Formats: sequence, structure tokens, C-alpha cells
Amino acid sequence: MTEIDRRDFLKLVGVGAGAAAAAGCSDHVEKLIPYVIQPEVISPGLPIHYASTCRECPAGCGLHVKTLEGRPVKLEGNPESPINRGALCARGQAAIGRTYHPDRFEAPMLRKGPDQLEPISWDAAIELLSLEIAKAPGAVHVLGGDPGETAGKLIDRFVRAVGAGGRTVYEPFALEALREATRNVFGVASQPWFDLTDVDLVVDFGNEILDTGLSPTEHQRQLAAARDITARPDGGARLVYVGPRLSQTASNSDEWLPAKPGTEGILALALARVAIESGAGTEAHRELLSGVLADAEVNTAAERTEVSADRIVRLGKALVAAGNPVAIPPGVAASTRRAIASTAAVLILNDVIGAVGRSVKIPPEDAFRKRASYRDALALVKAIEDGKVGVLMVHDCNPVYSLPKAAGFEAALAKVPLVVSFASICDETSELAHLILPDHTPLESWGDLAPRDGVRCLLQPTIRPLYDTRALGDTLLDVARSMGPEVASKLPSGSFRTVIEEAWSGTELHAALSRGGEYGELATAPVELAAAAGRLEVVEPVFSGEGDFVLLPFPHSFLYDGRSANLPWLQEIPDPVVKVAWEPWAEISLGTAEKLGLEFGEVVAIETSAGRIEVAVNPRGGIRDDVVAIPIGQGHSIGTFASRSGDGRPGEARGANVIDALPAGVDESGGRAWLAERARLEKTGRHQRLPLLQFSDNKRGRQLGEAIALADLTAPHEAHEASAEGARSEPQANEVHEASAEGARSEPQANEVHEASAEGARSEPQANEVHEAGHHEAHEIREEFQPSADADEGSPYRWGMTVDLDRCTGCASCVAACYVENNIPVVGEQEIRRVRPMSWIRIERYIGDGEPELVTGRKHPARNRESLGDVDVRHSPMMCQQCGAAPCEPVCPVYATYHNEEGLNGMVYNRCVGTRYCAVNCPYKVRRFNFYDYALTRWPDPMRLGLTPDVTVRSQGVMEKCTFCVQRIQAARQLAKDEGRPIGDGEVVMACEQACPSQAIQFGNLRDANAGVVKKGGDPKRAYHALHMLNTRPALTYLAKVQRGPVEG
Amino acid sequence: MTPPPAMSVAETLPAAAEPADTGDSRVNRDILGVMEGVSLGYFGLLGILVLVVAWAAVVWTLQVYHGLGMSGYSVPIFWGVYIVTFVFWIGIAHAGTLISAILYLFRAKWRNAINRGAEAMTVFAVVTAAQYIFIHAGRLWKLYFMLPYPNQRGIWVNFKSPLVWDVFAISTYATISVVFLYIGLIPDLAIARDRATGWRKLLYGALALGWQGTTRQWKSHTRSVLHLSGLATPLVLSVHSVVSWDFAMSIVPGWHATIFAPYFVAGAIFSGMAMVLTVMIPVRRIYHLERYITDYHFDNMGKFLLFTSMIVSYAYITEYFIAWYSGVEAEQSAFWLRAFGPYWFSTWVMITCNGIIPQLLWWKKVRTHIPTLFVIATFVNIGMWFERYVIIITGLSREYDPAVWGVYTPNWVELSLLAGGFAFFAMLFILFLKFFPVIAISEIKELAIHRKAHAAEEAR
Repeated sequence: MTEIDRRDFLKLVGVGAGAAAAAGCSDHVEKLIPYVIQPEVISPGLPIHYASTCRECPAGCGLHVKTLEGRPVKLEGNPESPINRGALCARGQAAIGRTYHPDRFEAPMLRKGPDQLEPISWDAAIELLSLEIAKAPGAVHVLGGDPGETAGKLIDRFVRAVGAGGRTVYEPFALEALREATRNVFGVASQPWFDLTDVDLVVDFGNEILDTGLSPTEHQRQLAAARDITARPDGGARLVYVGPRLSQTASNSDEWLPAKPGTEGILALALARVAIESGAGTEAHRELLSGVLADAEVNTAAERTEVSADRIVRLGKALVAAGNPVAIPPGVAASTRRAIASTAAVLILNDVIGAVGRSVKIPPEDAFRKRASYRDALALVKAIEDGKVGVLMVHDCNPVYSLPKAAGFEAALAKVPLVVSFASICDETSELAHLILPDHTPLESWGDLAPRDGVRCLLQPTIRPLYDTRALGDTLLDVARSMGPEVASKLPSGSFRTVIEEAWSGTELHAALSRGGEYGELATAPVELAAAAGRLEVVEPVFSGEGDFVLLPFPHSFLYDGRSANLPWLQEIPDPVVKVAWEPWAEISLGTAEKLGLEFGEVVAIETSAGRIEVAVNPRGGIRDDVVAIPIGQGHSIGTFASRSGDGRPGEARGANVIDALPAGVDESGGRAWLAERARLEKTGRHQRLPLLQFSDNKRGRQLGEAIALADLTAPHEAHEASAEGARSEPQANEVHEASAEGARSEPQANEVHEASAEGARSEPQANEVHEAGHHEAHEIREEFQPSADADEGSPYRWGMTVDLDRCTGCASCVAACYVENNIPVVGEQEIRRVRPMSWIRIERYIGDGEPELVTGRKHPARNRESLGDVDVRHSPMMCQQCGAAPCEPVCPVYATYHNEEGLNGMVYNRCVGTRYCAVNCPYKVRRFNFYDYALTRWPDPMRLGLTPDVTVRSQGVMEKCTFCVQRIQAARQLAKDEGRPIGDGEVVMACEQACPSQAIQFGNLRDANAGVVKKGGDPKRAYHALHMLNTRPALTYLAKVQRGPVEG
Repeated sequence: MTPPPAMSVAETLPAAAEPADTGDSRVNRDILGVMEGVSLGYFGLLGILVLVVAWAAVVWTLQVYHGLGMSGYSVPIFWGVYIVTFVFWIGIAHAGTLISAILYLFRAKWRNAINRGAEAMTVFAVVTAAQYIFIHAGRLWKLYFMLPYPNQRGIWVNFKSPLVWDVFAISTYATISVVFLYIGLIPDLAIARDRATGWRKLLYGALALGWQGTTRQWKSHTRSVLHLSGLATPLVLSVHSVVSWDFAMSIVPGWHATIFAPYFVAGAIFSGMAMVLTVMIPVRRIYHLERYITDYHFDNMGKFLLFTSMIVSYAYITEYFIAWYSGVEAEQSAFWLRAFGPYWFSTWVMITCNGIIPQLLWWKKVRTHIPTLFVIATFVNIGMWFERYVIIITGLSREYDPAVWGVYTPNWVELSLLAGGFAFFAMLFILFLKFFPVIAISEIKELAIHRKAHAAEEAR
């Protein structure tokens, strides 16, 4: 080897040092060892909760983000938030998936061609954008959803500062009609708030208050409290639902009026008239409304709405008799082209029955706040088409998906020279954007939100941003700064965080952050009917197009307006009503199905004047014959979970998007009319089995989803020693049903087939059979047992649970919470088609008591047993019953499942060999088998980061099931042990219990006589054990649903 | 104790055609002739069987790698074709021991022409069945947990679980079957050794354990066969009883029945007999063993088939009656849906094949018409597979909670492994044909000697 002289040596050193320095210049810092210097507040293994706010819908529920070692692992409700009070719905639970989503943009991206994105540095991206903005004065538009209070204001300031063309706020479900109707009726342009605290009669005019309505978690809680059977022996509040289909809210109602779609306003006015005739309202009402009500004669209304006159009169009188009634105006699914009129009619009804100011709270006008407007969005499309938009900045919304094709947004977008998207997860709109400046996800962001006056919520980051993303506010500030000092001076200095701090300068920010925000009372304006109310014209709705059916798009329970479609849990949890997952479906009535010769899963073409979509049908009894209903939210063509592509690239759409079949039309005020189109149904001959997770809604009289008639409950106790015996509801219940079926039958156009089915189900001989079934049960050899007995003698604990079916609405919040808490894999569409769900809780949905159908058993799925007007729907959560005499335990050859000293049915994953005998022998079928290595295949990076380290991730070939959140019991035990005391009542809160908005689930120690779970489970008439005839001694006690029956006039 | 002079083959051998001095060698020639020479057809069949087995092996390997999800399981049907087939093969395994042990003790004269074939079938059926336990398990690599071996963790198996009983029952049964087959083979192996050359001579020499046919050896042999028969007899009843308790001990409607043990044992013997017929009829035809396996045997086996078919049919009727009589709605629904629900086809195949078609055997003409008998036996085999399918699948698909009722259809993976099992069994059997005498030579000869003795006695 030749010698290296000094010069060469120096050269080499120079090159080497340069290379090392260059390598060290990378922005990307990776930490090999976490916590070399451990932050003081973090102890590994102990969670830290940060208060934040949920951004999945406008309700603005408070969050407690549970973080472990710096990573959010679970979202829980903030108990201090007046909105959700510690509960959190399924959508909120699933929101954690946004942060760990595989489709996230990891850095700013510049589009080089279709499906060709290249990363670009933030500096370059911001420079590019600022140059483009400077080039297009007045032609810069910002289009977006609600980014939150302060961010919204900042965008407004930005728009003014850069001299942009304007800002359009667009939300698919914008509640414009409600605001406009309030202005018409009361002269105040604001969004009324509906408070269901202590109500005693709720008439819901097609608004899914328990599901996708104004504030579902809050309304569920309030309604459950108002209906609390233990506190209110009369049964408390009654819920009446008006609408063409048995929706989730309808299935929790006491009476369902399947009015003709879009006739809610007519019905409301007729009710107002009956109410006034029965003495409600003031002289002013009579005077002002005489013109309006002249048209609302009961018989005419009955004819127009297809609700019998008797019922209208009865309900009208009930509204007068009630102490605190309230009417809820139509929601998205009922928003016709005459939505303002029908909403106004419901507001008038509220005023007549005295609900305004009491349950209907109307805040003062809030002119400063920019409200979403569909008309503005259409105007923007027009502007783009006219070539007036040079730069379009899109944030917090996905208009390419959610605007109707007929509105022409997608086509117009091609004319915009620069489309900028701030999406953090790819969507249809970002797919058409030229420049992507990814925002943080809500869990990484600062932010605030004012869901209603008096309530201001804060968002705070709970994790260091996973990727090279930047908050929308910061990006805008950076753009402004890069445009020069003149523009920059019009905007605040500092970062978006300092903007938030400034906005909250009046308050103790630290305290507000720990509480999750500032919670005050809703300010209400004193209102009275405006003169315009007297000129209201409520007529039948206008539908465009032709066809025998009205197309009824309704918000999907979990996907909302489609924004949640890319969250895997929300795709996988079956719809609470029809139990279909991963696919859209078309609901048609059994009569329609018979007439057209359609079977479950047959694909039909639905043709409207705006377009044609193909959807598989799901015939059911609980829908009007003249309606075809399709959920909004599916049909995305991009997204790992939202589409069928399986990765973040565009691919095959997940079914049809119903919005494609909707016209661009608007209602009177420029609001979006969803219920606006007639449709033709055409067979395609194709068959596509829907991923269905419940094949029969007939409980065959078995001890599942029990109900008891209110009359039975209040009748003097006839010394029934058997608790479940009391839960039987034979004679009175049947009478009540007869009555309700009668009501349904008396409707003019009730379908023949329904008649027949209702007849069959309720006629005398059948009733006798039910009695016989009851007779059989009397013969069952059933041991009475003490659930508390099934633990070791010395153990202070026997864990148990109660599930109150009278509170359960079937909303599946518990299911979602369980998925996230217990690292349960989402198995995907194919596996769900094969019926291999992994959820540890499922919500069973039964129609009535059912009867053994010996003849029709061959059909699969079994014929739907709903019928028009029948609301005897039982939602019953089913999870491991932690049996005292568990059938699964003795059959396991290797003791992988065993009974532990605290009465829990333990499951040792490591010991399991996968014989599946336990699952075979479990009568509740709550055991789940890892058919594949879901742990490896179903958590694409970076979803794994969101797994809870407290819960074992199960491998291929082992069995799993509900553990009663044993990790939560352990956590409470540690604390109690440290403090040298036993675990107290309420210290261990199950994930499902915590999430439940209506507090249907209660967990506790059955050996603690004062525990809530013991007291609740001791209900002599409502308590029962699922399939008690099997003597499995469950630790889970159900409380039968109370059948309150139709309201009395 | 020596068995009393048996009749059967010796009687039916046409006396005139058989010169006394060449009798032995002719038997040797006929039966050992099966082992000699390999036809193209044989190779073709073996090739097909090996291919099917290899395909199944590939599929199984994939399934172990990817998970049981490859099969058609659908909640709540956690047990599928693998368990069905396992029970089916365990059932098949019952004919051998029945014929060699129970019929031996009962001195049924017609057993000795078929006992070797049946015993071999037993062993192969047990081996085939055992594979399905491994195929079925979610974590095959942890299946040793089911053995009660001493371990550091101090974890024992759960003796309450019928699956642990299965482990013992099946391993015991496999052991006894192998021993039985082998003990019976020793004298024949000696004959084969004496006639063989090359590696075969070495193999048979080692396996024959120095058999010389001395009186002492014969005495020991006869004794051991007798004692083993005594030991094996309860096993015939117990093994399938234990297998039936896999179902009867559970609470699944349609499974939880006290009738299951006798019902399954009868079913096992029924299917085993049918399988003996299915296998022996072609063997007899191809290798011209008509002199040894005669109408007389088929007549008797036909009667046996009819008898067990009646027991099985009685069990079917009882099941339905009890379901109705119990007044338990879940039980009634399960049985109603079994007959008229989504699985009506399987149920009616089962009833037709096992209950109705065997009724033809009331006629002697049918019992002795070999092609018809073959067809009937094949139907019984199909029917008995469907019987297990019906019990397992319909039971699981219609349980207590109607919200989780489901439907299961086996997919290509399960069908491949099902075919693999049949191919594996057939492969072992046709290999057996070429390595070991398929009819017990010594027993045939013993009969001939008895016949001679009788003739001499009569002459005197």
C-alpha cells in the first residue's frame, strides 16, 4: 500500500467530515432508546389522561385521551364535559385511528401526475403556494368544513390579509333549514338547542337524535335519564318517532308513526291544531296561527301523511297533557326541498305546547360565526366554472365525495390551476389536489371549538406529530409571512398555539386545558312567534324524477357523512339496525321485495334523474313500501378501509355512493335537500351477499332480549320467586301489541303483505302458542342461584355486571370502546363476509318475543320480522357472561380457559392449542377465534403504535373473548393495594360501561352488598339471566326492557 | 384352549378340485400371489393416490402457515369437515377390531376370510383419523400440551375434558390395533419369509421373530390372540363411546343426548363393515380370491350391515322422538331445522343411505349379488360421513342464540384435505397388499386341516 501523504490525508478527512456533517443534517431524528432522560410526569405503565375534544361530528364531546409512554391508546369521554359527561360514542372511540392511519401523508406532497405524488419540503411548498396566491389576487378561495373557532377566525383573517376571493364553509350536514326556520318563526337566526333533561314526551320528526342527530351522546344520556324506570315508576318520558323507516332512534321509541316521507311538517301542524283545540297555546297563538292551521285539519293531514286521524288526535292531546313535551325538527334524512317549512312547523308546534324556552333553547343571534352553506358551495362551483378561481385551498372536508356529481364540483376542479389540500389522510379531494400540505390530526393539534354558545372546548396535542405535518393555522401563518411583511403584519405573529393562547387569554388556560374547556350555561334569547310564522306554507314535498319510490338517503350510524369511512372499526361494527358491515345496502320493504321478486343481497339498479347506482337490497318489514333507503357514507374510491383498494391509492369503490344519485338541488333557503328524488328500481340479475352479522331477528321466545310491559311492572307483585318469570310479558304485552298493530293497520295505505304478517304474528292462535311456550318454561328445571357465590370462598370479589336493556339503544359505543381497549383486530370485509367477527361484544337485535318458526327455517337470512308501526325492538348487548358454571371451562383439554378465584372466566392465550371446543360449547357464542394471524396482518403500520400495551395481542390459532377488562381490574387493584384497602364500588369501570352514553352497563363486585351492580341486579321483575334454562350461572344480569306502549291522549 | 373346528372357507372349497397334497401350496400361491408382481393399473392408481396425498400435504402446510382461516369456518360453526372426517375414520376403524376380536370370541365362522384386511384397515383408519386432530387444531405446534407430561410449569391436562379422554382412547386403540394386526401376521410372515428372496427375506425374517410353527409357538400365539381379543373387545365399545362424548358431554342442542354412545358405536360398526365391503370386493375381484372370500361371507356381512343399519335407524328415530318429547324448544327447533332447514339435503342423504337403502339387504339375493352389495356399501359410507356432518354442522349452526345462527359450507381446502384422507387410507392399503398377505394364510390352512381331520374321522 502506498503511503498517504499529508495532503491526501487532509483531503480524505475533509471529505469524510463533510459527508458526516451532511448525513447529520437530515431533519429526521430517530430515537433508538426512548426516555434516556425520562420526563418527570411519565412513569412507564401508568397512563396519563389529557383533556381534549372530539372532532368527529359537530356535537363537540369532551375527550380524555389516555396516553401510555407518550402515545394515545384510547379515547375516553371527559366526565366534566356537559355534552357527553364521560361517555363517548362509537365514532368518537374510533377517532384514535386518524392519528395512526396508514393513509396519512408523511410530508407535504406535490403532484407530478395522476397517482404520482412527490414529497416536497415545507419551505418549498410554502414558497410555491405564496407565489401562486400572489399571482392570483382575488381568485384565491378557501373551502372547508368547520376547523374550530379560533382556526376559523384565523382563516378569515388570512383570507382578508392575502386579498383572497373568499372563504366557503361547507358541511354536508349543515342544519341550514333549522337555522333558517328559527329565523322565520322566531326572528332569530340561530341554531336552537334541544335539551331533553326531564322531558316527558319527545316527538321526533325524523331526526336521528340517538344516532346521528344534533348531539347523539348527550341526547341519549338525557333521554335515558328521563326514562329511568327506577326513578320514574310511570316509565318517564315517551319517545314518538315520525319517519318512513324503522331507524335506530325509531327502534328505541314507544310509538312509531310511519308517515309519508317529507310530510313531517304537515303532521306537526295538525298536531299543533289539535293541541290548540285541546287548550294549549295562548290567545296570540290562535290569532297568529289561524291562517296556517286552517289548512291543517286532522283528516286532511291524515290523508296527506298516511297517519290515522285517531293517532294524530291522540298524540296531539298527549302533547297537551304532558308536563314537559318537546318536538324535534326533521334531520338530514327528512330534509326535503321544503325543509324550512316543515322545520318551522315543528318549531311552531314547540311554541304551542310551550316547549320553547324550556326544552327548546334558542340562543341569541350569532352573526359573527360563519355558518356552513350549501348554496355557497354551489356558488363556488359556479365561480370555478367561470374561471374565477386560481387557487383553491381545501381543508377539513371532502367535497369531491360529498357533493353530488350533479353539482359538477369534481369536473370544475380540473379548471383550477392550483388545488391545495390540507388533508392529513388521503381522500377523494386530496387525490385531485396539486399540492398537499398535511394538517396534524386532532390528537396532535391545538385547537378549540364552540359546539354551542356557552360551551368552549379545547384541543391539545397528546402525541408528538408522527410525521412531518403542520397545523393548518401554522401553514397559513407561514404562507402569509412568506408573502411579505405587509401581509404578515395583518396576521398574528407567533405560531397557531400562541393564537389559541391569545384567544383564550381571558381565562386560566391551564385550568381550562385540564378540564377540556370552559363550560357555561347556554344563553337563551327571549323569543316569541314572529309575524312570518303566520304566513308559513306547509305543503307536500316536491320530488324530482320519476319512479315508484322515494329515494331516502340517511346518515350511516357510524360513517356519518362519509368522513368516518376510513376508520376500520366503524366499517366493521355492523349497522345497529340492519347488521350489515363494510357495504352500503338498499332497504326496501318486504312487500316491495315480493312484488319485484327481490331477495336479500340481490343487486338492484336505482335510477334517478341525477344518476344511477347499483346496490344490493336488504328487504325489511320496518320500512314503507314507497321508499328505498340507502345509507350515506359508503362508496369511497380511496382509502385503505374506505375503499376496496387495500392501500392508500385510489381503487375500487366500496359499493355505491348514494350521493351520486342525488340532484344538486337546494331547498328554499339554499340548504341541501337530501330527500328530493324519486327512484326507479330495476333488477340487475347480479347477486352480492352483503356482509351480514345477524341472520335472524326472531328470538324464538328464548331468554334473550327480554321485555316487560309497564303494566306488569307496576302491577302488585304476585309473589313470583323466579325473577325472570316476572320478565315474561305475555298477556298485557300482547294486548299492547294488538293495539299498536291495530294502529298500524288502520292506516289507509298499509300494505297487504304487512297486514298479513302483522295479522299472523298477533292473531289468537299464535298468542296461544306463546302461552304454551311460557308453559314449557314453567317446567324447566332451573336452579336459583346467587351469582356472588361463584368465586373462591376467601375472595372478597366476585365481579359481575348488569346490562339495562331499557337504557340500551343499540348504538354500539360499547363495541367500539371494546375494540380499542382490548386490541381487538378488525378483520376486514372478506372475513366479515365469512362471518368471523372478532368483537368481544355484539349487539343483538330481536323483534318482539318471536316464536319458533318451524317452516321458514331454511331461508338464510331468515325473513325479517319487523312490521310497519311495530317498535318492539330489543337491542341486547351480548358479551362473555363470566358464568359461574361455564360450559367452556370443563371442555378445554389444557386449562387454557379456567375459573379464577374472583369468579372470572380466565383465558390463557399462551396455553390455548385451538381445539375451539370452548367456542362450540359456549351457548352465548361470545368466543372469538384467531383464524389468521390478525395481529400481524390487520394492523398496517403505523396502526400498531396505537395498541394498548396493557393487553396481550393474540396470535394465530388461539381463542379469545371478553375478559371483563381484566387490565382495568388489575390497575384498580394496584392502587387499592398501595393504599391498603379493598377495591371500592365504581373504582373499576369497564371500557364498555365507560363509553355507554345511556349508562346501560354497570360493573361491580357482587360480594359487596352495597354495590350498584347488586342493587340493580336485584330488581325482582326485570332482572333475568340470558338463557337461564341452561344453568350456566352468569355473572351478567340483564334488566328487561320496559314496554311503555303507545302514548295515551 | 384351541378354537373348536371352524367351518367356512374349508367347507366351501370345492373338495374335488383340491388334491390333498397340494392344498397348502395352493393357498400360499393364491394369497401370497397378491403380493407378487405389480401391474400398470396398480402403479397408475398408486400414482394418483400419492399425488392426491401430496396435494393435501401442500394444502395442509399452507393452512398451518396462514391459519385455519383458509378453511370454510364461519362463526358459530367452529368445528367443520375436519372433525366430521375424524369421527368418520374412527368409525371405520371399528370394523377391524370387531371382526378380529369380538367375532373371534363369538366364534363367528365367517370372519377369517376378511379379518386380516379388516385389521389392516383399522390401523390405517386410525392413522388417517389421527391426522385430522392435527389438521383441526389451531396451534398444531402446541398440541403436545394435551399430553400429561411432567413439566416445570406444573400444568396438567384437564381430565374433565372429553378431548383428553380422546387422547387416551385413540392412542390405546391405535396400540391395540397395531399389536393385533402384527400378532396375527407372524405365522404368515414366516411363510412369506420362507418363500421370499432378497430384501424381502430380510424384512420378513426380522418381522417373523423366528417363527418356526412349533406347537409351543402355536400355543402361545393362540393364547395371545385370545387374550388380546378379550382386551380389545371393550375397546371396540369404549373408543367410539368416548368419541361420541365429545359431543354428548357438550350442551349443544342435538349433541347433548344420552343415546350417543351406543348410537355412535353402532354407527361405527355399520360404517366399518361397509368399508370392509367397499375395500374387499375390488380386492377379491382383482386378485381372484373368490375361492377364499365367498358368497357365504358376503351374506353374513350383509346381515351384519342390515342389523347395524336397524340400530342406527332406531337411534335416528329416538333422537327425533326425544327432541319432541323433551319439550325443550331449542332441541325441537334444532331437529326440525336439521330435517327441513338449510341442511335438509345432508339429513335426507343420511337417512336414505343409512336407513332406507340397507333395507334391500333383507333379501338374500341382494346380499349375495356382489355388485349390488358394493353399491349399497358405498352408499352406507357416504351416508355415514353425512351422518357426522349432520350431527356436527347442523348442531352448531342452530344453537341457543338465534342472533348467531350461521351457515357453513366446506371450501376447497377442506375438500382437498378430505380427499387427501381417503387417498392416504387407500394408498396405505394398496401398499399393504403388496407387502403383507391380505388374507390370513394360517387361518385358512387351519381350517383345511380341520376339514381333513373331520373327513378322516368320518371315514373311520
